[in-house]
Amino acid sequence: MKPAELREIDRPWRIWASVIIVSILAFSVVFGFLVLPIVQGRAAGLDAFTAICRAVGILPGSPAVKQPTSEAKAQPTTQVAWSTDLMRTFGRRTQAGAEIAQGCVACHGEHGIAADPQNPNLAGQSAAAIYKQLHDYKSGSRVHDVMTGIAQGLEDRQIVEVATHFASSARRDLDPTTAEVVDEDVIRLVERGDPSRGLPACNSCHGFNAGGPIETPTLSHQNREYLARQLQAFKTDARRNDIYTRMRSVAVKLTDREIERLATFYATTLSY
Amino acid sequence: MRADTEQEILKTELWWTALVIAIVTAIMLAIIYAGVVHHINPPSNIETIDPKTLHLTGEFTESNLGTRVEAGDQVTSRVVATQFAFQPQCIVVPSNRTVTLRFATPDVIHGILVTGTNVNTMIIPGYVSQVHTVFTKTGDLLMPCHEFCGLGHSQMWATVRVVPEDQFRPGPDGRASCDAR
Repeated sequence: MKPAELREIDRPWRIWASVIIVSILAFSVVFGFLVLPIVQGRAAGLDAFTAICRAVGILPGSPAVKQPTSEAKAQPTTQVAWSTDLMRTFGRRTQAGAEIAQGCVACHGEHGIAADPQNPNLAGQSAAAIYKQLHDYKSGSRVHDVMTGIAQGLEDRQIVEVATHFASSARRDLDPTTAEVVDEDVIRLVERGDPSRGLPACNSCHGFNAGGPIETPTLSHQNREYLARQLQAFKTDARRNDIYTRMRSVAVKLTDREIERLATFYATTLSY
Repeated sequence: MRADTEQEILKTELWWTALVIAIVTAIMLAIIYAGVVHHINPPSNIETIDPKTLHLTGEFTESNLGTRVEAGDQVTSRVVATQFAFQPQCIVVPSNRTVTLRFATPDVIHGILVTGTNVNTMIIPGYVSQVHTVFTKTGDLLMPCHEFCGLGHSQMWATVRVVPEDQFRPGPDGRASCDAR
């Protein structure tokens, strides 16, 4: 076939396709910018002209109703606000960080692995998590007999340095004799959560690269006693420095037995 | 069915074209129906808020969340959607009264709908999502997150407790919560 013949066959298709597209466009414009604004504007008490202008975008929409700014005497749960500048500072391990870490040895162990299981291991913990907790001790959002005093003696820069130091230390080795214990109920809670109680899976935030809040700590390789004590503290409202009750709202739904088993799971099992 | 001739191929193509057009038309008609009859429309309220300091400043601090009766008998409920829970997880509102729902998030995009009502909005970091509505049915309504927000998305839901107006008794500070009742 010659090109001229082909064009001739194509002609009606081109014309009809154009007609259909143009009519759909025309219908959309008439309906979206004229009919819908008039119908919906009537219910909102707007005259037709204003409604159309607002739909087209000439006039602004409803102005935000000025809310009375809260007189809430809010003691914020934490003073930490994550910014990109702050996140950027968690960079390289520095000599200064190692020097500050010398002050942590007595309770948290020489390499950030605590001898007393009541104290948390710091080695391999996320820098953002350590930063937030130290900052909260300093500001009084979290209270501890020993830590409050120590944190108050640190400057912001030093907190960043020591957090980065521990984040890059090697984690505790798991004890291979305990790692075999499989607890089906707890694994379900960790991986699936419990929708009927509105309990999100632990690993939806605490899992490896889970993408939850920035300050979420790593739980694997942590001490069982410490984990259980913190969950209890969240449950009883003794600890309340979690932003928007993220942990309190979870812990309050857990039974004491579940808390014990979860703590055991994370302390003994390599989940990620 | 084998299509050997040009005619037959054309016929099949037209059939499928008609089917696709019918499906698209049906969807568009549903949207138009929702717009005209149910008054579903995009939000017109644009209000920005800093997500980084949401928990530190003003309106969306933890203790200011939940339902509160404000000046002019205006019932306002403030809820924060965060990974992976709403705070508070239950709000109480009176029936047959205009209620203003205000949502904000410090982390990622969330969304809510309240089952059986016309409340449906996205919650976008940096903005306050505001909905005015009147609840007519009493009882506990489910408010799930309907915008995938992460691994815990499927366990993220809250309750809207609609009580008859005479049973809605806010405290002296104007606040009402699910626990207090």
